[in-house]
Amino acid sequence: MIVADKKPIEEIIEVIKDHDKILVLGCNECVTVCEAGGKKEVEILASALRMYFLNNGKEMVIDEHTLERQCDHEYLEEVRDRIDQYDAVLSLACGVGVQFMAEKYHSTPIYPGVNTCFLGATEQRGLWTERCQACGECMLATTGGICPVSRCAKRILNGPCGGSSNGKCELGKEVDCAWHLIVERLKALGRLDDYEKVCSIKDWSTDRAGGPRKVIREDVQV
Amino acid sequence: MSFNKKLNTGDFAILAEMEPPKGVNVSKMVENAAKVKGQVDAFVVPEMSNAVMRMSSLGGAMLLQSEGMETVMQVCCRDRNRLALQADILAANSCGIKSIMAVTGEDPSFGDHHQAASVYDIQLTELLEAVQMLQKGRDMAGIELDGAPDFQVGSVVNAGLKGDNLEAELEEMNKKIDAGTGFFITPPIFDIGSIETFMKHAEQKNAKIIPTVLLLKSVGMARYMSRNLEHVHIPDDLIKRIQKAPDKTRECIAIAKEMIDILRKEGFSGAFISTLGWEQRLPEIIGSKEVYG
Repeated sequence: MIVADKKPIEEIIEVIKDHDKILVLGCNECVTVCEAGGKKEVEILASALRMYFLNNGKEMVIDEHTLERQCDHEYLEEVRDRIDQYDAVLSLACGVGVQFMAEKYHSTPIYPGVNTCFLGATEQRGLWTERCQACGECMLATTGGICPVSRCAKRILNGPCGGSSNGKCELGKEVDCAWHLIVERLKALGRLDDYEKVCSIKDWSTDRAGGPRKVIREDVQV
Repeated sequence: MSFNKKLNTGDFAILAEMEPPKGVNVSKMVENAAKVKGQVDAFVVPEMSNAVMRMSSLGGAMLLQSEGMETVMQVCCRDRNRLALQADILAANSCGIKSIMAVTGEDPSFGDHHQAASVYDIQLTELLEAVQMLQKGRDMAGIELDGAPDFQVGSVVNAGLKGDNLEAELEEMNKKIDAGTGFFITPPIFDIGSIETFMKHAEQKNAKIIPTVLLLKSVGMARYMSRNLEHVHIPDDLIKRIQKAPDKTRECIAIAKEMIDILRKEGFSGAFISTLGWEQRLPEIIGSKEVYG
């Protein structure tokens, strides 16, 4: 899922402070799972903002709503009838949702209420960790299911580097060496021969290097 | 007179593009530059223009400097992060390079290494600010340098844009001026009337503008540019003139020479001659001891 984190409330206040009526808009998908932008977070943030502006003598109408998804035309249409009532929308969706919303509703400012961080997993409640950088050419089949692009600090494809020590990255003891994990995993799978294969130079044109990307699937287009 | 002095005194400067080789054989580059050594105030050495891999600007510039020729080194955001950019800038100045020009760089998809990752750690105005900071004796992390570099700093500006696009470009130009840019090189100009609006703004800002004088190579090239490059205006009469000429190459050289004369008369800060691989033609465009005695 896309993992997001809360923006500091001071930053949000600075952005919305000159408006009189805003809509805090949550998303029921990834940001709900990572507890940054779902219905619950919309309620908490909207209350905190109301309290702040009330204490500072500013009348500010702050409404709440949460959509099933903000990265889908169908669900974004749900707010079409009411969006003109607001000076601005504070979207708690990921960067995709904020932008899709802004593309649809040209005359309303759409502000981000979260920082979109990475593609990751919930290790435990309150701990999300990165697993994928969406490089566009998955190589997990040969690395025992552990991604060196997202989990090695240097994105080394034939590792480990000289900084790996006792299974930890040179960045610090709290960071696992991705290549140590890969070797251990390949051992467990009885496929250590895969480690001997030299990975060829990566084609980064499928990553961000090729500019904004598209997936076109004619077989599912209507 | 050096390029920097000419910029300061307001004398017309001649810059010429000198592409480093794709390989280690530098003889042609040095030979072509040497032919016009006395006529060119500084050679601009591109940093892998169009994202085609070749010798670096730093390497090419150092080679020419060692032959007694002044250079403008390009620094490009595409291929280097802030560490590498600052390191090269310090190296350049300590090796005698007195002018640098900051560019964004074309996407690798334009060049010959399509699978390369681009860097863009910092952007153009940030790079210009970084150069300014280095000149004040500190790096981007705020750490004091043991000796600060001293440069004439240039950048690019797209003078041929129109309407809202030009407005945005002028805003960007203002930011670059604030970040210490001393001169601007424009894309190829074939008709100075086409950049009139831009020049009004540049004059207000007292910006030193050096238009690119591009050596056309054929009617086909002129037509292609006219049709496909929105911000480069090539008058139809000029294309017809090349078409009718019995010796088209000679006519193209004459057009480039005339353009330089026009820029000089109109009070521009200089001309930047780009020959796109025809550097051996430079003596015919700007004169040399061999051609004109």
